Amino acid sequence: MKLREIAASRSGDKGDVSNICVFVYDEADYPLLVRHLTADRVRDHFGALVEGSVVRYELPRVHGLNFVLDRALGGGVSMTLRADPHGKAFQSLVLDIDLPDRAPTGAASGEESA
Amino acid sequence: MAADARRPPALLSLGAGSAYADDRLDSVAAMAASGRVSYLGFDCLAERTMALAQVRRRQDPASGQDRRIAALVPLLRDYLAAGGKVVGNFGAANPDAARDDFSRALKEVELPGVRIGVIHGDDVRDLVHELDADLPEVGTTVRALGDRVVSANAYLGAGGIVDCLREDAQIVLGGRLADPSLFVGPICHELGWDLDDWDRVGHATLVGHLLECGVHSTGGNYEDPPYRVVPDPHHLGFPIGEVSDGSVVVTKLPGTGGAVDAMTMKTQLYYEIHDPAAYLTPDVTADFTGLDVDDLGGDRVRISGARGTAWPETLKVLVGVDQGWRATGEMSYAGPGCVERARRAEEVVRARLAPYASQIDEMRVDLVGMDSILGDRLRGGYPAEVRLRLALRSTSYDVARTAAHETELLYFGPAGGGGNTSSVVPALGVTPAYVPRDLVPVRTEVGVA
Repeated sequence: MKLREIAASRSGDKGDVSNICVFVYDEADYPLLVRHLTADRVRDHFGALVEGSVVRYELPRVHGLNFVLDRALGGGVSMTLRADPHGKAFQSLVLDIDLPDRAPTGAASGEESA
Repeated sequence: MAADARRPPALLSLGAGSAYADDRLDSVAAMAASGRVSYLGFDCLAERTMALAQVRRRQDPASGQDRRIAALVPLLRDYLAAGGKVVGNFGAANPDAARDDFSRALKEVELPGVRIGVIHGDDVRDLVHELDADLPEVGTTVRALGDRVVSANAYLGAGGIVDCLREDAQIVLGGRLADPSLFVGPICHELGWDLDDWDRVGHATLVGHLLECGVHSTGGNYEDPPYRVVPDPHHLGFPIGEVSDGSVVVTKLPGTGGAVDAMTMKTQLYYEIHDPAAYLTPDVTADFTGLDVDDLGGDRVRISGARGTAWPETLKVLVGVDQGWRATGEMSYAGPGCVERARRAEEVVRARLAPYASQIDEMRVDLVGMDSILGDRLRGGYPAEVRLRLALRSTSYDVARTAAHETELLYFGPAGGGGNTSSVVPALGVTPAYVPRDLVPVRTEVGVA
């Protein structure tokens, strides 16, 4: 399934740094999010759009993750020639990531995130 | 609501009036007339707004301030007459001019006696030259850029706002006042919270963060049908924060569109925040890792758990850099073969501009509908239509103009090019620097309009 089916997101810009926060609608999906939506996964999905590092912060109380993408905006909103200088569309690109389907009810993983 | 009744009543209610320089003002009148808020905060600036305002001021010394003041004051007349207060970074590059605009507009609506506080000190152009401040995102220093540095404005915190409010200012304005500080100042002043009571300042910063982006908290930049839909997105309500000690209820006026629910709040809580344990503002190092979001229903959400530690010893400065001119030009291709014809058009444009290569600092050609935003990351089927988009930057106006014109001449390029548009605008970049806060004195001035 696509991340879009279980989560909402928003991307923002500060200089050449983009942040994308992602929150599951149903808190039962949070362990799945933590396990599969890794910084590496996001990095791979964004490819050449991001030149710097991708760092992930966990937000367990609100069942979300915050990704910080360095050198991700072609120099930043005021410098870049990109058609979407703020990276507003990054929030949509992240939701395109494929996740494994949920385990059948009753067999849900209770694994805790670190 | 039962859950609400056990909580202490709100100590102070504040409303958002604007989230950037060109925000709609049509909801301001309703917010001002609602009787629900005693402060309205207006964020009038985004990263580039300040530098653009500095350029306007260079062209006309009486300009550089927010351009909506004359239209805004009539909407606020009765609110101000009843004692309501207004805080905003209306000054942009010219706080004195903003004060003059307010004075003039208050006279026009025949409202005498309003005290206006003006905050100076954010303009640090001389200081960053003296320090030869490092510009980490562009890998150089201020002096290396010489006279291409057109502005440098430090983000100022709540201190100046509190000083003005203590002197009974009813309207407080400044230049690059930090977005959340527009609310931190009023909250700390009204509730008697010290500006080094870090947990409380962290909480006030949370409130400011949720209000300063306006409808971003109430359904703006949010809908994604069918998963996320809000009612009446054509007139989203601006957020109201009902502040208590340790928690805030965010809501909006009845009858407005949009929604305040757990998800609209969460998406805004971490918007433009990097390390959630260390959100750096001029006022505090705020910690948003321990937040609890409690959806009370009825477009009311309670948020608690913000903390804080000492403010950063440096202030962030946005340095405006003149980069010459930016040209864009577009041409559409549709129907069978549209992608191949657009790629051929790209070859034509690139060949025509090749003689100017040494004067072009950066250039890109994208096909809107194919790869202009997400590059090669997503691939759909063959599109019904695409739009060639040329963008480049040059220090030569003539080269920029020539490039824009070349996209118009594509009417005589591959078949079926249509709908050309182009523009040449000043290319003004902003990039961050950091300066010791002790070197940035803040001066306030309060007087009757």
